Amino acid sequence: MAAAAPAAGSGTPREEEGPGGEAAAPQPQAPTSAPGARLSRLPLARVKALVKADPDVTLAGQEAIFILARAAELFVETIAKDAYCCAQQGKRKTLQRRDLDNAIEAVDEFAFLEGTLD
Amino acid sequence: MAERPEDLNLPNAVITRIIKEALPDGVNISKEARSAISRAASVFVLYATSCANNFAMKGKRKTLNASDVLSAMEEMEFQRFVTPLKEALEAYRREQKGKKEASEQKKKDRDKKTDSEEPDKSRDEDNDEDEERLEEEEQNEEEEVDN
Repeated sequence: MAAAAPAAGSGTPREEEGPGGEAAAPQPQAPTSAPGARLSRLPLARVKALVKADPDVTLAGQEAIFILARAAELFVETIAKDAYCCAQQGKRKTLQRRDLDNAIEAVDEFAFLEGTLD
Repeated sequence: MAERPEDLNLPNAVITRIIKEALPDGVNISKEARSAISRAASVFVLYATSCANNFAMKGKRKTLNASDVLSAMEEMEFQRFVTPLKEALEAYRREQKGKKEASEQKKKDRDKKTDSEEPDKSRDEDNDEDEERLEEEEQNEEEEVDN
């Protein structure tokens, strides 16, 4: 009977990653990145640019850049949560700039930010 | 017209995503607050870099390494970051090792194809990853370092 043979005449069984791309059915390709690829979301190149901006820094190793990127992410999470506590007290659901200012004043570790965000 | 270091912002989309995932569902963030957080993150990196650099100089090294950054975190009173950062570092090192082995495997395959028997330069695998990177970076950095 007329069986619709998807394979081309070259005799190769239908491959998912056909180099010639002759397979008609577009199969959704699963991302090939390893599960641990989401180690850091911030682009290392930008972090490196910040590090280089310091005139006292001569060189920085790859690992140092990576850890700085990861630390920056943790920092963003932390300050967002702390600012949210202030917004919650005001029964608001939108974080405002003043929530951030309050958090900076309230939390000792954020003291280095004072005067830098203007 | 000079670019200040604080103006080197990290990508907004990523910052926004990190914030949203840190906060409960349904919570929003104003544009001003988001851009302030982004600037704060840049300032954080600059400050941490400076602290880490102090540790490197104490150790008479010219290159910042991971432990300098970890020491900087403690100095900045962000000790709570140290443990998750150490875990992330472990994972990162494993990933780098995996990548290196994968590219070495490719190299071996290529060598087999070409059939040329070049003597393998015996290299210790310990700590050579960083040194290889350093050599690449040093070549780039020579132009920028003012002495």
